[in-house]
Amino acid sequence: MQNNSEDRQELRSSIKEALAKQNPVAVVEQSRSLLASSNKAADVMFCATTFSGMADAFRDVLGARPLRTYIVRTVTVEPILPYLTVEAVFSNYLLDIQVGGYGSYVDEVLNPASALAKFKPDLVLFIFDLEDIAGRLSTMCADGIGAGVDEEIENSVSRIAHLLKSFRAGSTARILLQGFVVPDMTSLGDVADANLPQSLPNSVRQLNQKLAALCGTITDCVFFDVDCIAARIGKMNWQDTRLFLASRLPMSMGAFHAYSRGLVRSFSSLFKAPRKVLCTDLDNTLWGGILGEDGPEGIATGSAYPGNCYLQYQKYLKQLSSRGILLAAVSKNNDADVREAFQLRSADLALTLDDFTATKINWNEKAASIRELAQELSLGLDSFVLVDDNPVECEAIRQQLPEVAVIAAPLQEPWKLIELLSTQPFFDATVVTQDDVNRASEYKAQAQRAELANNVGSRDEFLDSLGIVCTFVSALQAPLSRSVQLLSKTNQFNLTSRRYSSAEIEEFASAEGGQAIAVRVRDRFGDAGVVGLALARNRGDSCYIDSLLLSCRVIGRGIETALLAHLAEHAVSTGAKRLVGEFIATKKNAPCADFYLDHGFVRSMQLEQAAAGSIFYELDLTVSVPGSPKWITLEGNELNELSASAAVSA
Amino acid sequence: MSSQQVPLSLRDILADILEVPSDEITPDLGTETLESWDSFRHLQVVLAIEGEYGVQFDPQRIAELTTVSKIQTELEAKGVTL
Repeated sequence: MQNNSEDRQELRSSIKEALAKQNPVAVVEQSRSLLASSNKAADVMFCATTFSGMADAFRDVLGARPLRTYIVRTVTVEPILPYLTVEAVFSNYLLDIQVGGYGSYVDEVLNPASALAKFKPDLVLFIFDLEDIAGRLSTMCADGIGAGVDEEIENSVSRIAHLLKSFRAGSTARILLQGFVVPDMTSLGDVADANLPQSLPNSVRQLNQKLAALCGTITDCVFFDVDCIAARIGKMNWQDTRLFLASRLPMSMGAFHAYSRGLVRSFSSLFKAPRKVLCTDLDNTLWGGILGEDGPEGIATGSAYPGNCYLQYQKYLKQLSSRGILLAAVSKNNDADVREAFQLRSADLALTLDDFTATKINWNEKAASIRELAQELSLGLDSFVLVDDNPVECEAIRQQLPEVAVIAAPLQEPWKLIELLSTQPFFDATVVTQDDVNRASEYKAQAQRAELANNVGSRDEFLDSLGIVCTFVSALQAPLSRSVQLLSKTNQFNLTSRRYSSAEIEEFASAEGGQAIAVRVRDRFGDAGVVGLALARNRGDSCYIDSLLLSCRVIGRGIETALLAHLAEHAVSTGAKRLVGEFIATKKNAPCADFYLDHGFVRSMQLEQAAAGSIFYELDLTVSVPGSPKWITLEGNELNELSASAAVSA
Repeated sequence: MSSQQVPLSLRDILADILEVPSDEITPDLGTETLESWDSFRHLQVVLAIEGEYGVQFDPQRIAELTTVSKIQTELEAKGVTL
């Protein structure tokens, strides 16, 4: 006790010193420590007083956001305000608070000349007592049958809706509407309260839900579920009936801190975008133990303790990813070991490597890895959160990448990790859209290709690791509209740039020895769809390639070679002995100027005399037929189908 | 009267809550003599003292605890060692 009080005095003097030096970083840091170990009202007040003498420094040095905050209320909030301003500073907001009158809220909101309107707030908090908004509810619910309860709830909601919407029409201030604490200890008693749908607790829950839905329909408006805070700290701790009845104080002093924290967290979602990426360490974070020492069978994960602490964390991450938070594994390990562990222990892990948008498993500095991730994903560092058990790594990131939020995983108490994460506001959002949900897969493809290109030594190895699959289909079934679109839009890798109509494509497909081939491409990161096209027809024993093109998204992966090989093979099967390529230079198609030369063709001056502007190349198919790159898997090869049907008919 | 007449722990709390230097917390300081000691501040004072000493005042008494010395007497009457 003595020690605690000495610490407390020491912290207070160092806060005073930091104030004298106008050092906002130290003031905030020391104040956090003070209030983490002391719940004394005097210490909170001391911090609030100190902070009010530092406002300029908070704004200029820490970039704290000033918020003119107006509180529309029907209860006593004044003793809570020091807690609220202190908590706000910890989240980097400077509150300049004005409080409205107890009974004048309607006038304040609706009268354009009211104190609220004149204050020109950035943020308005609506804090009502149940009695003032739905005063008849407690009587109506008393018999548990609840005649008129639904109507009373509807009326209360529409009164608040009218207030908020009228206010919104005249102001762009952010709005926080506080819900109601679900009452307990009613005359019906716990059993009836729980079992009767129209009991007061159930009715207030319903009212809260409707108010939350209302907030969703109003721009920049958030519903603050105060009942959740009350439940968390316990309703017995929440209530101070004596002071509510004597002074309209809505909660006990013991609840001020949790309440203020919850309230600041709630309105923060109106000012800050949620972070987008969670980077997790592996050893002693995603699983227990150290993979390099304990081996894949030795690490702790799975349904038995202590592995289930980690399993729980993995499930939590999986849930985050299902609403669009990107996961990244950032670990100092051998990549192959980690892959092996994910395979061998897949039954004990709630995540697969596939669930990670990106992985940085190497021996580089984590700051470097996170910087790379930011680049690969085109996201700011302030979108990142790192969870790591190693205090040295955590500190290094805090210093080198201060924008990144760091969570120190509790090494000795792995069951606490989820609580640590969920009390942080990083990922708070008032809405989740379908785009958020889809985000993970989009970013994943982008990150993985970039990651591979960084890591893999040779080009062939890189291409091989992509797992490219080409599927050849008829240009008529690409579908045909896509084939026309490709012909009309492709400029860079387009050998002749002829823009054909559907009918003209159909002619190629139906001509004797004619070909109209489209290629669909996918790799292990995603499906690029139909991205290439070739049109050819035979004349005599020669196959003339009229058009060959590829979308620029997939150039450089050997797909053009696979397309040519497929076409050549087909030409051979229809009796062609020579392949003729044509190139017409445009302003944009220089990238494919040497395409035929690169594939063993030789220039044919003889043919060129016949067609001005075209350069012709030829390849003797009796000597060599172009092959497809070995890193590409081919599908839908018509040749196979042909030979199969030939075999059947024979 | 001197601030020395007010027990140290009580003096410190009041100094923080009332936002005045510790040596200005004299026994006769009260709602009449300190302008910023209004009804809201009074509620804060009561809450802080109740929290610190683990006591609860009757709401009707709260309104009467208008000076430092009255608060001190009330605490002593409740058996608090200051």
